Amino acid sequence: MAKLRLSGLNAVQRQSLVISLTAFFTGLLLIALISVLVLITARGGAYFWPKPIYSVALTHISPPALATDQVLPKEAASKETTPRETEQVVTLLANVFDDEAKSEIRLKYADALNPYGAQLLVERERIKRIDLAKNSAEIKLNDGRQVMAVPENVVTPEGANIPLAKLPQIMESVALISDEITKLNKQFLAPIHESLSRFDNRDVAADAPAREKLVAQFNEYQQRVRSLETQRDQYKLAVSFAEGQPFSIPIFTIQSVDFVSRLTGFEKWQVAIGEVFVFLTESPKQANTSGGVFPALFGTVLMVFIMTIIVTPFGVMAAIYLSEYAPNTALTTIIRVSVSNMAGVPSIVYGVFGLGFFVYTLGGSIDSLFFSDTLPAPTMGSPGIFWAALTMAILTLPVVIVATEEGLRRVPEGLKAGSYALGATKIETIVRTILPIASPGIMTGVILAIARAAGEVAPLMLVGAVKFAPALPIDGEFPFLHLDRQFMHLGVLIYDSAFHSQTDAKSASMMFAACLLLLVVVFVLNILAVLLRTRLRKRYLKG
Amino acid sequence: MLKLFKHNIQPVSELSSAQTAVEVNALNLWFGDKHVLKDITMRIPKNKVTALIGQSGCGKSTLINCFNRLNDLYDGCQYKGEVIIDGKNINSKKTNVSRLRAKVGMVFQRPNPFPMSIYENVCYGLKLQGVRERRNLDDAVESALKQAALWDEVKDRLFEPAMTLSGGQQQRLVIARALSLKPEVLLLDEPTSALDPLTTLFIEELMESLKKQCTIVIVTHNMQQAARVSDYTAFFHQGKLVEYADSDTLFTMPEKKQTEDYITGRYG
Repeated sequence: MAKLRLSGLNAVQRQSLVISLTAFFTGLLLIALISVLVLITARGGAYFWPKPIYSVALTHISPPALATDQVLPKEAASKETTPRETEQVVTLLANVFDDEAKSEIRLKYADALNPYGAQLLVERERIKRIDLAKNSAEIKLNDGRQVMAVPENVVTPEGANIPLAKLPQIMESVALISDEITKLNKQFLAPIHESLSRFDNRDVAADAPAREKLVAQFNEYQQRVRSLETQRDQYKLAVSFAEGQPFSIPIFTIQSVDFVSRLTGFEKWQVAIGEVFVFLTESPKQANTSGGVFPALFGTVLMVFIMTIIVTPFGVMAAIYLSEYAPNTALTTIIRVSVSNMAGVPSIVYGVFGLGFFVYTLGGSIDSLFFSDTLPAPTMGSPGIFWAALTMAILTLPVVIVATEEGLRRVPEGLKAGSYALGATKIETIVRTILPIASPGIMTGVILAIARAAGEVAPLMLVGAVKFAPALPIDGEFPFLHLDRQFMHLGVLIYDSAFHSQTDAKSASMMFAACLLLLVVVFVLNILAVLLRTRLRKRYLKG
Repeated sequence: MLKLFKHNIQPVSELSSAQTAVEVNALNLWFGDKHVLKDITMRIPKNKVTALIGQSGCGKSTLINCFNRLNDLYDGCQYKGEVIIDGKNINSKKTNVSRLRAKVGMVFQRPNPFPMSIYENVCYGLKLQGVRERRNLDDAVESALKQAALWDEVKDRLFEPAMTLSGGQQQRLVIARALSLKPEVLLLDEPTSALDPLTTLFIEELMESLKKQCTIVIVTHNMQQAARVSDYTAFFHQGKLVEYADSDTLFTMPEKKQTEDYITGRYG
């Protein structure tokens, strides 16, 4: 049938049919691309946007979700008496996640039993009432947890109730106490402890009086710290949940208090920008479900940076040899074909290679040669950022070689001949004429390598990227750049937080937010490289 | 008649060694199995313009590539015989090829300025020779550009990219680049075939003035050009030197029938 109709078309119609078909598939591609961007941007952006808190009243019938962990406060139920006595109504403070497609609503709620939040799926018909809870606030704690509750007043160590308006001042004075404690710990307790342990190690009787004195000092400072700590701990914020259940939070654990339900548009932006700032500058908390991703961002960029430093000279040298020096034999052809095929090897294979060769063999040998005094604890013989960068360099090497060779091939023969005719040797010609002209091609290879390395996850997990690294690979301690340390990587963080998504809405969003950040990082790195390439092109190819 | 205008032209057979810039003795050259140059023997006179003419593929470009050993760049090129410049056989293994190429300049068919500034282009060879002092470079650039009659056009934009120049200017820049090294011999491989008639005339005049300083060997397909600019002309056919004489003789009364047929356009 279709065939018949096709043959009935004239040439012009047939051509326009072909055009519309191809255009249709191009359009599909465009839609796919845009939806990826829109989804990641929307879901990632939503993570930062303050979500209003509602007070949700719902009936509590045969509750698989509630029955096990929730005892209903009797008086609350009787206060909100419903027409039917068999049903009990529970009120919760919650973020509401609406899912239009389903008949259920997802709540991220807090109550007396789950002060730090839990999740609940509720059928729509069970919900009696949803009101904006204007008085409730999102109270973020330093450890990454948060409480949704109505702040009532501030309790001081003396037991006095202070109105909420004074909260900022109180928070400041508590912070001062905390600073004092840290100072005492750092300046006095730690050094004394160190000297004490030195005495203990020597174990000389003559030291005994000095030791006694130190112990006395230590106890004295410890006493001061303890009393400060008790003082600090007694400043509390009294809050209540939807049904009036009281709860109190030590003020020194509070990071911020946001009345998210009564924010104006501008204040919402302020909160969101603050969230972005926290996200970019802080460490992950609560097993990568809240807090920031700074170590991962830092690790990704540093790893890509080290990789670029390794892969660029390697790739360029190899490409120069292949294209300028290698004899035109079957062996060269075989090498060239294998190099291009290396780009298609699954990345996990490189990960296994990196672990087996770089970490165990190479790292192990380095350890036995240079760090033998710390063995059996490995120094270089365990996964770390350098091995990860090296593995990624091997993985992206073919990309750089192929692109560089392409760039070298584009250098006109006439220019090379012109350089030789002026008395330049081969190496002078390569350095002064061929490489500058091929530099945009080289940059193309490096761009592709960077994009690939920044997004790769599987091999990195084998050779040094971890869910949580206690320290950054760069710090103030000699030798400042610790190539042997494990590091965090955005891709690995996304992979990790994807496993939280079924249970925790917030961390699902954190996955999207990290994904958005990864996109931005790759995009920025690419833009930088493209700008550089354009400059080189302008300089060496045209005008 | 023409002889009145061209002074001091000796017949090729009477050239002494002292008057010779390049001496070619029994030169044979192969690209793989292909025998490209067959037993070439000739003397190219000093401070004169010598034109090499012949059909495409007759080996004339290959011959001038032998004068600066540019054929070394091509795979499968083998040669036998002598090319003597400054009393030394440049085909010997001991030759310093870089120094030879600095002494024997070359200009190609298509202008090939490097993608750098005009100044950097002219300095390229000098810097390779180890000249570093800014003042020496400045002086050399100025005098080379003046010799190539380009100075007045570019003196205000020496540091602009060479690619912004017109085709004719680029070709003169390339000539200046070769002249910056003060070569003894300047090889021109069809230098005007990609240029318009006016620029061609300009470059032909340039050759006339340059021959005071160096020996010029030009490969050309343009018979009129060969007759106009050259003192001597050699006609090649299928890798052999057919006839070599002063241009007046060769163009007015060629000895060989083949030569006459070619210059009158009966074949080729």
